[in-house]
Amino acid sequence: MNGLPGSFAVTTHGLSMRYGRETALAGVELRVPEGAVYVLVGANGAGKSTAMKVLLNLERPEAGRAEVFGLDSVSNGPAVRARIGYIPESHEHDYKWLTAGRLMEHAAVHYPAWDREYAAHLIKTFDVRLPRKVGTLSKGESRRLQFVLALAHRPPLLLLDEPTDGLDPIVRNRTLAQLAEHLADTPTTVVIATHHVAEVESLADHVGVLSEGRLVAQMTRDELRRTVLRYRIEVPEGWQLPRDLRIASVRRSSSGREVQCSTIGEQHDVTARLTATGASVRDVTPLPLEEAALAFLTEEGAR
Amino acid sequence: MIVNLDSNDGRPLYLQIMDEVRRAVVVGTLRAEDPLPSVRELAAELVVNPRTVSQAYQELEREGFIYVRRGQGTFVSPAVRRGATERRSLALSVAKRALLEARRNGVGVEELVTMIQKLAAKEDE
Repeated sequence: MNGLPGSFAVTTHGLSMRYGRETALAGVELRVPEGAVYVLVGANGAGKSTAMKVLLNLERPEAGRAEVFGLDSVSNGPAVRARIGYIPESHEHDYKWLTAGRLMEHAAVHYPAWDREYAAHLIKTFDVRLPRKVGTLSKGESRRLQFVLALAHRPPLLLLDEPTDGLDPIVRNRTLAQLAEHLADTPTTVVIATHHVAEVESLADHVGVLSEGRLVAQMTRDELRRTVLRYRIEVPEGWQLPRDLRIASVRRSSSGREVQCSTIGEQHDVTARLTATGASVRDVTPLPLEEAALAFLTEEGAR
Repeated sequence: MIVNLDSNDGRPLYLQIMDEVRRAVVVGTLRAEDPLPSVRELAAELVVNPRTVSQAYQELEREGFIYVRRGQGTFVSPAVRRGATERRSLALSVAKRALLEARRNGVGVEELVTMIQKLAAKEDE
């Protein structure tokens, strides 16, 4: 846990999995540095949830392996799980017949690191009603209970699968603020799988993009900001996009004189290539996290 | 001090936070020896990664703008006045944004400066 600087909370090596004929993961090499807030982006079925389940040893990979703080996820399953706070995609709890309070008691016994004082604080913040039966909770209340359970033992790794799903906008903001506060108090690595990238944009410092089970990009937020850019250019008549550019999206003005394209590549390099073809670059802007991450998914079909 | 972040601003969040602190000093809502919010407080308030706030504070500390008193928190440096240096770095950042916007609209530098002066003269009337 008190790893050396530059060590990883999560690594996977050639991780591969299939559900029947469907490829869930194909040779995935995750590298999540300790202390990172790592956002995993991808379409439905891209493998985000499966990757998390493998880390928790809830799914067995067909090939490859996963390590959490250097511990193998299969051979050290219980030790790995003890270090993880997990919010599953599903809002359903096991032990539906228990009250929220009893479920909390179980968790307190289960996790040696359970912090009762902090748990009480979280119960208040998330407005969890302890006498309620877990099976009768609304989607939102169920999610809030899951947050308390995930945070109260201050695990060194949080795996959050669609964490804001089911939360109304006010509760969502309060939840993310609580998460920011948690990160300030407790050294934590966070992996967030989400379709709502904009919601967690201000927390994220690393990004991974999954497409049909393959990890097609993995980098820091800064690197993403530097390498995925939108160019607005003025072009001569009959101008064609240079073939060697990695284009994520293109829009042309009706007159054909103005083109806007998002590209993957270093700015000086892209600018030089555009200029060499007679285009003049009017404006270069970085993209919001979500758009920048999606660039790696639209790259192939953009032209 | 009230810090506002703009999600449409392409700059990294730590730079935006730095500018907001500078702005507060220049306009006088933050003065020498005033305490800054803790990293934890500001991170929760803005819903940003605490590391981002730390980075902004570290840069400001390196510039001598703020200082850390052990166990007590972060404060605005006593030497900081609404003085020339602070005004300059803030003006620089405003100018950069204006220039960027001008380029985006195909407006030349001289054109931009003339127009700003005209506009300001009008408002002063």
